Amino acid sequence: MSETADPPVLHARALRKEYGKGEGLVRAVDGVDLDIRAGETVAIMGPSGCGKSTLLHLLGGLDRPSGGEVLLNGRRIDNLSEKALARMRRTDVSYVFQSFHLMEELTAVENVELSALLAGCSPRTARRRAEELLDQLGLAGRSKFLPSALSGGQRQRVAVARALSNEPLVVLADEPTGNLDSAATLDVLQLFDELHEYGQTLVIVTHDARIAATADRMFSMRDGVLIDETRLTGGTNGKLGALVGLED
Amino acid sequence: MGRILLVVRLALRDLRQRRTEAALLMIAILAATTTLTLGLVLREAASDPYESTRAATNGPDVVAHVARPTDLALLEELATASGVTAHSGPYPVIAGRLQAAGRTSDVQVEGRDATIAAVDQPEVTQGSWVSGGQVVLEAAFADALDVNVGDPVTLGGKSFTVAGVAVTAAMPPHPAASCIVTTGCVNGAIPQGRNLPARLLHNPGLVWLTQAEVRSLALTQGPMSYVTNLKLADPGDTQAFVAANSGALIMQTWQDILAEATDLAKDSQILLLIGAWLLGLLAIASLSVLVGGRMADQTRRVGLLKAVGGTPGLVAAVLLAEYLLVALIAAAAGLVIGALTAPLLTESSAGLVGSAGTPSLTWSTIGLVTAVALGVAVVATAVPAVRGARSSTVSALANAARPPRRTGWLIAVSTRLPVPLLLTLRLTARQPRRVVLGVVSIGVTVSGIYVLLALNTFLGDQPGTGAYSEAQVIVLRHVLGVWMGVLLALAAVNAIVITWATVLDNRHSSALTRALGATPGEMSTALAVAQVLPAFAGAVLGLPGGFALFAAINAITGGDGDRAVLPSLWQLLTLVVGTVFAVAVLTTVPACIGGRRPVTETLQAEPA
Amino acid sequence: MRQEVVLAMLAKEPSHGYQLRARLREALGPLGDAMNAGHIYVTLTRLEKAGLVAVEVPADGADRSDRKAYGLTPDGQQRVAEWIAEVSWPKPDLAEFHLKLVAAASAGLADPLTVVDTQRRELLRRLRDAQRAAMAESARSNAALLLEGIVLRLQADLRWLEACEQNWTHRRSGS
Repeated sequence: MSETADPPVLHARALRKEYGKGEGLVRAVDGVDLDIRAGETVAIMGPSGCGKSTLLHLLGGLDRPSGGEVLLNGRRIDNLSEKALARMRRTDVSYVFQSFHLMEELTAVENVELSALLAGCSPRTARRRAEELLDQLGLAGRSKFLPSALSGGQRQRVAVARALSNEPLVVLADEPTGNLDSAATLDVLQLFDELHEYGQTLVIVTHDARIAATADRMFSMRDGVLIDETRLTGGTNGKLGALVGLED
Repeated sequence: MGRILLVVRLALRDLRQRRTEAALLMIAILAATTTLTLGLVLREAASDPYESTRAATNGPDVVAHVARPTDLALLEELATASGVTAHSGPYPVIAGRLQAAGRTSDVQVEGRDATIAAVDQPEVTQGSWVSGGQVVLEAAFADALDVNVGDPVTLGGKSFTVAGVAVTAAMPPHPAASCIVTTGCVNGAIPQGRNLPARLLHNPGLVWLTQAEVRSLALTQGPMSYVTNLKLADPGDTQAFVAANSGALIMQTWQDILAEATDLAKDSQILLLIGAWLLGLLAIASLSVLVGGRMADQTRRVGLLKAVGGTPGLVAAVLLAEYLLVALIAAAAGLVIGALTAPLLTESSAGLVGSAGTPSLTWSTIGLVTAVALGVAVVATAVPAVRGARSSTVSALANAARPPRRTGWLIAVSTRLPVPLLLTLRLTARQPRRVVLGVVSIGVTVSGIYVLLALNTFLGDQPGTGAYSEAQVIVLRHVLGVWMGVLLALAAVNAIVITWATVLDNRHSSALTRALGATPGEMSTALAVAQVLPAFAGAVLGLPGGFALFAAINAITGGDGDRAVLPSLWQLLTLVVGTVFAVAVLTTVPACIGGRRPVTETLQAEPA
Repeated sequence: MRQEVVLAMLAKEPSHGYQLRARLREALGPLGDAMNAGHIYVTLTRLEKAGLVAVEVPADGADRSDRKAYGLTPDGQQRVAEWIAEVSWPKPDLAEFHLKLVAAASAGLADPLTVVDTQRRELLRRLRDAQRAAMAESARSNAALLLEGIVLRLQADLRWLEACEQNWTHRRSGS
């Protein structure tokens, strides 16, 4: 690997994903280059169907690219076997989904500890860690609740706790606020902001400007291509008054 | 008209969209209807032939015979006794030996007239009736000896040509026989090491000659006996007639003959009926898995159709059309397959029962099978239709296809196990009812196999003990073989159906678990083990089940349970291990497919 | 209306005053009805004085001499390019931004989608700051309420930008 001080945690080069053949060929991801550094929050925005979810699946090894390469912490993952990918997902990458994807028959804490159990943690360690995470995410009193008894925002918090339970290198979030009302969205925003402060590397795919605005960098995606990179830090230079016309 | 078209189109589209489910449902109903058809056809085959033969031959109510010519007057007297409405005979009968194409058998030779008798005129099924120099053989006997019309035979040293083959209701068909000769007969297998008195007939067949020829044969072959066939005013009251007129006369009622004629058929029928019951249970197990799964699915669909403006009537009509289509096809196919397989079973027992033809479908069988198939369709439609009509559109839409159940202690226990077993237990915990069905299905199958093993050993011992002849053993073995074949086939279908239903119902949680880091191998293993564990439980439970079933069969058939040799320990061990292995093999393919489905498609297509 | 709008409308080709008006009307639809013809001529005169536009005499003779055609001077062209790249907020003039896209597209001055992206980038930065400020406030403070208002307005603007993006994407792929 290169000798740079800060190598990217996640690196994609000329990444492509195609579906179908001939006339029906769809280039969902069409040559994407992306570097994500440790501790960074990166948002990928774009209209629905632009290929951003597919890109996220490729980055986490949930789907296989048609071409190009993905490196996680310097290691090629696009050519790993399904089994090796699964093992990688246990510890290195985790997902947060739009529709939460919690197991309906498991309580909050059982949902959270599941990834740790899959990774081979002892039941006791897994349970303790899950309880801690739920505590930290403000769900201490609800660890025995079934998902159906939780609000949308709380469910997404449980899903985030699950994603964090194996201390992954990267958390990949797919429209994490897509199914939430504005209060719950704010809740999740705050959560992601805390994760960011804590130094968690985050990739968020969204079409919600609010959640994209929490990122350090934002990419626009259109027709399978990243077209625009924005560094979002330093917008008003601290002069909030300008936002309401108090300063010019 | 437009409405009907709409309903049919919606139904067809739905079926096409869920091809796998529709196909599995079809197979399950098909298995049930085939089994039912087989059972019904055979039931009729077992009870009907004697009745039809009796009607066709104007069968006697009482057959009387005397062993000495001096008692002939008694028979003539009996013909005029009160209560007798018609009679035929007395006919002369002698004992003899028949040789045909190298095979030899004892026979009872009855002398008859060329003219039609008022009572017991044997029904010629092939060839023609007796005339000079020609002999007619009883149908089952001709079958057993493999003799056909036109073949030369030797009887009492004289040559005859076989004129025909006939059935009669005056004597049970070969190898059973009522003895009407002076020398006496013995039926069944001869215990080894025992010598029969020289002149005793062993398993005699029945043949007919003209009276003149019998009398002439009697000059060289030995004493004649005489037989008279009687028709009574009250065929139901033969016992009283026999009691009033016995003495030197030996009388047999038609009820006795019926009992003997259908003795073996009854045994096979009981076997078949018990088999049909077991198969029915298996069919119900797979049906409830499939229909139950689809009903939950349909409740959601009802909501959807209502949401776009379908009236509850339209919704119900679509569902009904769908199931009717599947059920009707399955019923038709089941009837055809059942009717085609039934002769395989009765081929050898047809002659045995004394019937000329093979069993065929009757309208009542067709009606019943179709009704059962349609019944399934209606029940499968009615529940979701009513539920859908009652529930609000919104809640029907919001319902998950089949909300998983929570079995807390299983989830807790599973955390201590290795990943594949953890996943297995959680799959199990999600659908406890399905697990029970899996256990029942395998349990029923293993019970059946247990009984088959026991019966097989039992039959294997028979030729030495005398309850069944070798030919009968072959027939019963044949019945058991078919039984076993259908049972195993249905059990296999069940195992696959249940696995596939599990795969389908858990596709979302499987995809999610894999997204969380379970490998495809772990997921496939879990899906397969989730079937194998219930299979093991079912196999173990099936052993006492089989024991109980065997006891029940013994009780019903009046068999001697003490003589039965139960399967040995190693047989049982092999049975359990074999069952588990077979289920593992059967479930591997669907489990592997299920464990390797692309994760992203499922996660994106379906909300949690 | 800002002078730059009129300037940009001339970027495609030199035009007569009436052509200019027709073009604006087409871009604004019913909103353009309120436009005062005199205002455009006043603006043109002012731009001419500033040296940003020049009157061009038609080449084909005198019969059309009563109608002057205006074209951009190099200074004018530069001014238009600056204006296109400019990001205007907190007083977003929807009509102005809209006409900027129309002018950019028709004169081929810039890709409208790039203009949209630039604008969005700026709005997102502001949204991020407003949001951070809002999250820092306790939920019931007065400031939080005001900041929520700003966040909502920014979101509305961003959503309109999304609509612009889609619309211009369609036009581009449609043509």
